[in-house]
Amino acid sequence: MKLVALALAAALPVLAASLDADKSKIMGNPNAPVGIEVYSDFECPACRTFHIETLPQLIKDYVVPGKVCIIAREFPLNIPEHKYSREAANYATAAARVGKYEAVADALFKTQTTWAASGKVWETVASVLTAAEQKKVQALAKDPGVASEVQSDVERGQSAGINQTPTAIVMRGSKQYPLSGYALKYDLLTTLLNDLLK
Amino acid sequence: MTFSSKTWRAIALVSRIALGAVFAYAAWLKLRVPWQLFAGAIGDYRVLPYWAVAPLARTLPWVELALGALLIAGRWLRTAATAVSLLLAGFFTLMVWAYSRHMDISCGCFGPNGDAISWRTLLRDGSLLALSLMVTWISYARRRKAA
Repeated sequence: MKLVALALAAALPVLAASLDADKSKIMGNPNAPVGIEVYSDFECPACRTFHIETLPQLIKDYVVPGKVCIIAREFPLNIPEHKYSREAANYATAAARVGKYEAVADALFKTQTTWAASGKVWETVASVLTAAEQKKVQALAKDPGVASEVQSDVERGQSAGINQTPTAIVMRGSKQYPLSGYALKYDLLTTLLNDLLK
Repeated sequence: MTFSSKTWRAIALVSRIALGAVFAYAAWLKLRVPWQLFAGAIGDYRVLPYWAVAPLARTLPWVELALGALLIAGRWLRTAATAVSLLLAGFFTLMVWAYSRHMDISCGCFGPNGDAISWRTLLRDGSLLALSLMVTWISYARRRKAA
């Protein structure tokens, strides 16, 4: 979490707005030479692995030094097995508006199997919020603006041809490279980032 | 129909150039993006270790480009046609293997973010394999006739 806090502190609010995402969903310096949009579904096991294993390494090696900026995008899959994906994405997006996106995303991914089985999404989200934040987030989660922000991420991903999660779109200038599956293996991802940063 | 007939020669020429163009085009689609994207497509098959994936992703598109150019130019035809047939047979086998295991992955045939493996991609690559075998057979048959 220290790394995440450092990365978030490096984000510039004005530039963050130009990235068309809540600043709480942006990690690192938005002026970084390389940007990565990560499309995730909170109920997807591969997204959990990416969030828990790959993301911290990426933050340490590339985000904190200011080389890469990561933007979290919601992509709840519309499949029967992922009954609570959309609800989780809405809560996480609502939490982003009180500056708690990363904490909520961490909690949702870490306890994924539990709430995915019980449906207790709110209880998981609430566990990392103060009483005042809980009130705000519950109210925000009912705000149509939050739902439309999630839907806007989904449509953005669909227009980029995304059909699975996690998918990371690596951006350098006007070039965009969608990566998913094996291409998100850390060793391979870092060779791409290093090449783009040359 | 004999190999000396104009129709047969025309079919052989068109097949060879078409196959060469397909290979050159497939190579170009892979070479215009960072090699890591194609490495991802190869890795998704889960048959090779990482140490083999990276060098293969870096070299295979150049091999495809060279073979495509040789087929179009009609140089080293028997060697090029045989190599293309062996490559296509390998690709087709892998695709059938992945399809039979319901793996939801891109075939990687025409670039890293190409079509997902389906009966359509199997039909397409199967047809290319058949065409390639025909070109190979013609190239050897011509040699026998010349001898």
